[in-house]
Amino acid sequence: MASEDEINLLVIVVDVNPIWWGQQAQREPEFTLSKCLDAVMVMGNAHMAMTRTNKLAVIASHCQDSHFLYPSKSWRGGDSGAEDASSSGDGKYELLSIANNLIAEEIRNVMSKSEGNSTDTLLAGSLAKALCCILSIKTVYIGRDTKSRLLVIKAAEDCALQYMNFMNVIFAAQKQNILIDACVLDSDSGLLQQACDITGGLYLKIPQKLALAQYLLWVFLPDSEQRSQLVLPPPAHVDYRAACFCHRNLIEVGYVCSVCLSIFCNFSPICTTCETAFKIQLPQMVKPKKKKLKQST
Amino acid sequence: MASLSEEVLLVVKKVRQRKQDGTLYLMAERIAWGPEGKDRFTVSHLYADIRCQKISPDGKAKIQLQLVLHTGESTTFHFSNESSALKDRDAAKELLQQLLPKFKKKANKELEEKNRMLQEDPVLFQLYKDLVVSQVISADEFWANRLGDINNTDPAPYNNKQEVGISGAFLADIRPQTDGCNGLRYNLTADIIESIFRTYPAVKQKYSENVPHNLTEKEFWTRFFQSHYFHRDRINTGTQDIFSECAKQDEKGLKSMVVQGVKNPLVDLLSLEDKTLDEGYGVSSGPPSTSNLNRSVKESSNAAIIKRFNHHSAMVLAAGSRKGETPTDQASETSSTDGNSRDSDFFQPPVRLQEAIEYEDLQRKNRPKTVALNLKKSDRYAHGPVPLLSQHYTTSQDIINSVNHIRHEMVNYKPNLTQVLSSTAATSAIAALSPGGVLMVAGAQQAINQMVPTEVQGELKHLYAAAGELLRHFWSCFPVNTPFLEEKLTGHLEEMLQTAYSKFHIWQTRRMMRKT
Repeated sequence: MASEDEINLLVIVVDVNPIWWGQQAQREPEFTLSKCLDAVMVMGNAHMAMTRTNKLAVIASHCQDSHFLYPSKSWRGGDSGAEDASSSGDGKYELLSIANNLIAEEIRNVMSKSEGNSTDTLLAGSLAKALCCILSIKTVYIGRDTKSRLLVIKAAEDCALQYMNFMNVIFAAQKQNILIDACVLDSDSGLLQQACDITGGLYLKIPQKLALAQYLLWVFLPDSEQRSQLVLPPPAHVDYRAACFCHRNLIEVGYVCSVCLSIFCNFSPICTTCETAFKIQLPQMVKPKKKKLKQST
Repeated sequence: MASLSEEVLLVVKKVRQRKQDGTLYLMAERIAWGPEGKDRFTVSHLYADIRCQKISPDGKAKIQLQLVLHTGESTTFHFSNESSALKDRDAAKELLQQLLPKFKKKANKELEEKNRMLQEDPVLFQLYKDLVVSQVISADEFWANRLGDINNTDPAPYNNKQEVGISGAFLADIRPQTDGCNGLRYNLTADIIESIFRTYPAVKQKYSENVPHNLTEKEFWTRFFQSHYFHRDRINTGTQDIFSECAKQDEKGLKSMVVQGVKNPLVDLLSLEDKTLDEGYGVSSGPPSTSNLNRSVKESSNAAIIKRFNHHSAMVLAAGSRKGETPTDQASETSSTDGNSRDSDFFQPPVRLQEAIEYEDLQRKNRPKTVALNLKKSDRYAHGPVPLLSQHYTTSQDIINSVNHIRHEMVNYKPNLTQVLSSTAATSAIAALSPGGVLMVAGAQQAINQMVPTEVQGELKHLYAAAGELLRHFWSCFPVNTPFLEEKLTGHLEEMLQTAYSKFHIWQTRRMMRKT
């Protein structure tokens, strides 16, 4: 059991790519962004209700920016909280009702804006913001034990341009002992699989989007200590093959330049990245002996 | 008979070997037997080759002596002299008992070393069992690059014993005890004698000259202790003493030491002198030379003691650094003993100054020159193993539609937490997550090391280590410089690898048969 003083911070990063969600709403009207956010709220409430020292943060990952849904800057605690609590009137734990209201308000703000031309979710940026949030909590509660983890709910596909940033985030999380869990709604994401494998978290692609809340509560609510006692889905096999620099094919055996470490699928005498020339002695060709034709008289 | 240059220690007649009568000869380095009537030895064994000897039990009719060699062979001698067979056999046995241990050490050293290595390292032992015992590699090759140079005369580093130095107080330790009637007893042990010889090579010289020709040891030492040479006030009164010469030598040596002085400029002994203004608080007074004579007498006796003390210390130090060289010449001895300790001082000053001024970690490091990395297309590294082209396309119209749709939907978003999950959805999710469900299939696989029993794992590990050792032999043959290596590669190693492979095959089939 965790000690009384230990602070458990859960940061949920929700992918709110409007293009994907808009298309999703047209494909499957029963499960839309509203439903997804409801499930996330249930998860957040459950986490905060488990122990008094549990803390929550929610980040919405949009195409243009990443936005903190909770805790938000407009929340001043104290006064405004009291007003909201009295307004809900259903006897709910104030913290939970405040959180829910804030999240709802913020997401409305986020989705009402739409500028820019990009179609990819800024997931790497959101993860980086999450890590900063975790670090700030650690510095605030510097005397006490803090354990943090990250839960990513992913909807759209991976963006290839974010690879470097993503890997940096993953290794930074690994260094700080922060788990990255991933709940994937639509298509498998190689980057998140790697993230979960490297940091020790759980990767799950859920077959039924409608039961998102159930999956979140069953698989992602327990923290890392409790997970060792539970029977959870086994880790997926991660494809760690490198891609060759010339064709971007995933290869198992290749040629590596010893100067710049770039990977190629075929041997070439000059490395195209650093322009080093390689001399390899090829086995000598044995010339076939010419047969003398017998001249018949 | 055989070479007369060997010293024959024992001859036993009427010794039968392999049902033939003959004579047994025990020589300085070997034991030999020749049949009667012939003048050559048919059986000859060096003592170094003999591992042990065995005798037949006393009650038996046949009186025999058996020699077991290191190679495992054994030779039996039957003593058939009716009267003295037992005596002969026992005489031979005792002589062998004395001789064998002397020769044993040399041969066994190598074996001992090998045994020790095998016992200390279980992995090596297993490798030895796998490869040599099952005849894949010959024992010689196995030990070829493991033993190093055991055959050289240099002992292994941990066998080196440190030289024992000389205690400075060795002379004082010979505390004389009163004999009861006005005599003194000096207890001289071998250590003390050795110390005296090492420190004062002059005494050693005298000893070798006089003992045992003129004096016995006891007399020599008695004279030594009686002589004024030994006692404190060494006033050379010119008595006919064999040690007066030694005293003169010492004087010479001491003078030469003083003349050489201390050549280390960092040590300024002269500044340690007392610098008094004068006696009487700075006011020079008193007659200058009234007590000159007295002073000189007192001074000379003090000077003698101090001189002796200094000389003794210098000799002890010099003896320690000499390391047992044989004294060749008296004069050169004393000068070399002084020179030994001086030489090191001589060249030290520049080094010492250097050390005092410079600090290693403040120096600029001499890094090897490097070539800068020149990348032309560095953006290649930023791209991960994700295909460049995305898998599906969206038209811009689609994008606009989607964005509008979602905006429209979320404008009036209100969380409805009571309707999040339907029970059917929940139960199907739970079913998928329970063991045996859709998502839990992969978990049924066990780790391979739980499926394979430990003994099989162990056997496989041994086979793997043996294969690694063979590979090491293979790679050590490259580059193929000599025809020997070439022959080893093509012939010998080929065979070894074949044997190893067939062994592995046998193991594999045996395992598979056991399973089925």
